Amino acid sequence: MGRPYLGEFEELVLLTVAILEGQAYGVTIAAELKQRTSRTISLSGVHIALYRLEEKGFVRSELGGATAARGGRRKRLFTITAAGKQTLSDMREVRNELWNAIPNPSWS
Amino acid sequence: MALHSTNPTPPDRRPPRWADRLLKRVLPADLLEELLGDLHEQFAEQAAELGEAKARRLYALEVLRFCRPYFLKRRIRHQQRTQSDYSQPYFLSPIMIRNYIKVASRNLAKNKVYSFINVFGLALGMACSLLIGLWVKDAFSYNRFLPDAEKIAFVRVNFVDPNTGEVPVTNWVTPGPLQEAIAQDVPEVAAVTKINYGPEYLIKVGDKAAKEKGHYATDDFFGVFDLPAVYGNPKAALKQTNQIVITRKVAETFFPNGLALGKTLQLNNDKFYVVGAVIENLPSNSSLQFDWLVNWKVQEENWMKTWGNNSFQTFVRLKPHVTLAQAEAAMKDIYPRRAGKNFDTGRPTLQAITDLHLYGEYENGKPAGGRIEYVRVFAIVALFILLIACINFMNLATARSATRAREVGVRKVVGALRTSLIGQFLSESLLTSLLAAALALVLVLSVLPTFNTLFNKQLTLDFNQSDFWLLLGGLVLITGFFSGSYPALFLSSLQPIKILKGRLQFGAGPALFRRMLVVFQFSMSIFLIVGMLAVGRQMNYLRTKHLGLDRENVLYWPIEGINEPTKFNALRQEILRQPSIASVTTAGSLPVNVQGSSGDLSWPGMDPNQSSSVWAMFVGSDFTRTMNIKLADGRDFRADSPADSSNYIINEATARMMAQSAPAMKDPVGKEVTFWMGKGRIVGVMKDFHLHSLHEPIKPLILCFNGLNVEYLLVKTRPGQTQQALADLTNISKKFTPDYPFNYHFLDEEYEKLYRSEQQVNTLVNYFGILAILISCLGLFGLAAFTAEQRTKEIGVRKVLGASVTNIVGLLSKDFLLLVLIALVLAVPLAWWALSQWLGTFAYHEELSWWLFGLAGLLAVLVAFLTVSYQSIKAALMNPVKSLRAE
Repeated sequence: MGRPYLGEFEELVLLTVAILEGQAYGVTIAAELKQRTSRTISLSGVHIALYRLEEKGFVRSELGGATAARGGRRKRLFTITAAGKQTLSDMREVRNELWNAIPNPSWS
Repeated sequence: MALHSTNPTPPDRRPPRWADRLLKRVLPADLLEELLGDLHEQFAEQAAELGEAKARRLYALEVLRFCRPYFLKRRIRHQQRTQSDYSQPYFLSPIMIRNYIKVASRNLAKNKVYSFINVFGLALGMACSLLIGLWVKDAFSYNRFLPDAEKIAFVRVNFVDPNTGEVPVTNWVTPGPLQEAIAQDVPEVAAVTKINYGPEYLIKVGDKAAKEKGHYATDDFFGVFDLPAVYGNPKAALKQTNQIVITRKVAETFFPNGLALGKTLQLNNDKFYVVGAVIENLPSNSSLQFDWLVNWKVQEENWMKTWGNNSFQTFVRLKPHVTLAQAEAAMKDIYPRRAGKNFDTGRPTLQAITDLHLYGEYENGKPAGGRIEYVRVFAIVALFILLIACINFMNLATARSATRAREVGVRKVVGALRTSLIGQFLSESLLTSLLAAALALVLVLSVLPTFNTLFNKQLTLDFNQSDFWLLLGGLVLITGFFSGSYPALFLSSLQPIKILKGRLQFGAGPALFRRMLVVFQFSMSIFLIVGMLAVGRQMNYLRTKHLGLDRENVLYWPIEGINEPTKFNALRQEILRQPSIASVTTAGSLPVNVQGSSGDLSWPGMDPNQSSSVWAMFVGSDFTRTMNIKLADGRDFRADSPADSSNYIINEATARMMAQSAPAMKDPVGKEVTFWMGKGRIVGVMKDFHLHSLHEPIKPLILCFNGLNVEYLLVKTRPGQTQQALADLTNISKKFTPDYPFNYHFLDEEYEKLYRSEQQVNTLVNYFGILAILISCLGLFGLAAFTAEQRTKEIGVRKVLGASVTNIVGLLSKDFLLLVLIALVLAVPLAWWALSQWLGTFAYHEELSWWLFGLAGLLAVLVAFLTVSYQSIKAALMNPVKSLRAE
């Protein structure tokens, strides 16, 4: 596989970006993840993951949408790229194959 | 989910401001907006949901999580990328730091002489501080290796004068029954033990034999000192009277195969013991030093069970949560309750074992110093030397500021800020101190072995310890900042317009400051030189003072293995037969350091309230003849006089003491007194001789006669025949005590040992004095070179107008010599005071005389003159054509 490596947390963040579709930025992603995984999620961790995903070309971003709660500061909105989608589905396929290869299906 | 809350944040519902300020310093500028926005948005939500206080706490935590390498790295990268724009150069940014170091190293390389003076001077100062730091650390580490050291205490006994309430005597040795009394009466104490003085006995296993020091200790020794065991159970082993506990060292010497447990060894050619346990060797920073322990009961005799005999060291371990003061209060009544009427003034006092090494001296029942005084003196002296070296740096830097000023002007015009100029000067001084530290490490490593032998220590530079690097780093930073502070603050404050117009006038300020520093430097150097001379003189006094007895050509031999009087007499006769030997006697302790004291003396007409405390020892016949002690009246003990066994000899001090209350004792010979041997007559009065080190005044002494062997055989050899005498004695020893090695020492060595710490001070002051003057002169040399360089033109003009070389040398030297003279005036009273204090600790000492100060001053002036004159003569000899040609 010639694509860049994707860590577990990065994968979760990437999936969340896909879920939130156009409304994905630091706070919403963290809130979504918190709710869905019931892990403690720090904003700094989410951001670092986002920047790394952007460097790898799985998401792209633009600035916009300042609100009063943000003190008039703009937010960086992330959207998933085609490469990102491709990687996610590749990973899913690999997983499915691996699951299917487990000899006794009733094991889980 | 209220994800897109548009409620405006009320002003009081703000996240903590410090957190935002921190973020601004950590986060990359290009991400600040979005990240801060996200954080604030999350805060607003959490405040609404969880309350403001909790939200603020969560916010702070979140912010702290942002301080991670990822963002820092990105920030630096961002800064580098935007450097090309007109951004504010942050004065601690990596690029600036790189620049500072580059400029600093170029400056150092450009002025080689000054750099050398600075680095070398600082290195010497640092090396001193490091060495002393190691020594001080060692002094403070004493006994701290013991498990629960803070719960262990050493027991001393104060004897209170009932009339005045003062405590004239504090004993560090205690009577035998005290330990049992504490064990039974004081519930605050978890364990208590006593040990005897620690004899060196021969340990023998098969053919192997060696002398090792050890103690007889009571059962609970390991309850007090929880020393780690290597093999076996020391606690159980010590409780058995047929077992011995030995250290790893002894175990490895005698049982090299590692199977020491259960083996048998013979102690002192007498009893056999089974090795019951092996403990770790005691580290060098332990006050207790021994290699074997045997149960107390094996050697216990009746006199050890009396309250009148102070001979043993007692240690206690306190129960948890009991303080020293509480335990001490609980012991207050032990003497009145248990010891009987004669000794009811005793009050046990506890000293934490961690203080034992540093506070060995007691005055009026309270710790009054000891080694801690030397620790303080050395620390101060080391600081002095470091200070002198730092001053060199400051001085040279300010002196050169005229040259550097132009550089500062140009830098400022081009846009340097004051902060970055300060950064540049400080990095220069830090680089210098870093180089100096490296050199200092090399110096310390090379002198450490000598230092260790000199001070009988095992100090090492422990590179693996974080303490060490902290100390070194601290030293580098402190000296760097301190010595760089003045130039950094002064030079960076100059106004560029004045400098570049050439209208910069250095006022009297910096020059005066410089002079003050030189005066300060030389005051300290002169102080140390006076100290060097005075301490040296006192040491010489100690060494050559006639003590009232001969200590040359006298050797002592701790005899062992002879218990029958006939055998002992035969030995004595045999020794006397040797032509190389002038005289022989025995003594219970060494006459240069008498050990036993007693309050048992009484005489007819004695005032019962008068103190009758005397030093006492057993001696054999011919004692005064062998020691060459002059008799004021009467005679020596005679070997063939059986009546002498209850007779006494006293010194003049005792005679004076007795005459105070009983005028009839003015002429004491033939009078009856009562002492250890019962009623007996005084047969002789010795002229006073020194019983102890010269710290102590001469005290009353009484000698009892014991024809049989006591501890030591004292042998006076004929002058020049010491070698022959040693050979003869070796043969005699082989004949009479074949089981023991012949083990002798010289009395004058024993006397010198009394002054070991003074000897160390002497050596240290010598080295430090020389170092201080050396470093000061280095600085003066640099300063003189600089002045001469600055005044080149002036000198040229003066020469053209007819000034002679002498004129010019005088002109250049005058200023500096004046400073040294002022320093002399300042240093003399200080040195006078400090040395009077030190000499005051000796009951007998040389008086301070003016010539000491004169000599020190002369030395300082001479050295300063020589240093300066090299530069001034060089300047004066210069051809004026050369110095005036270039304009």
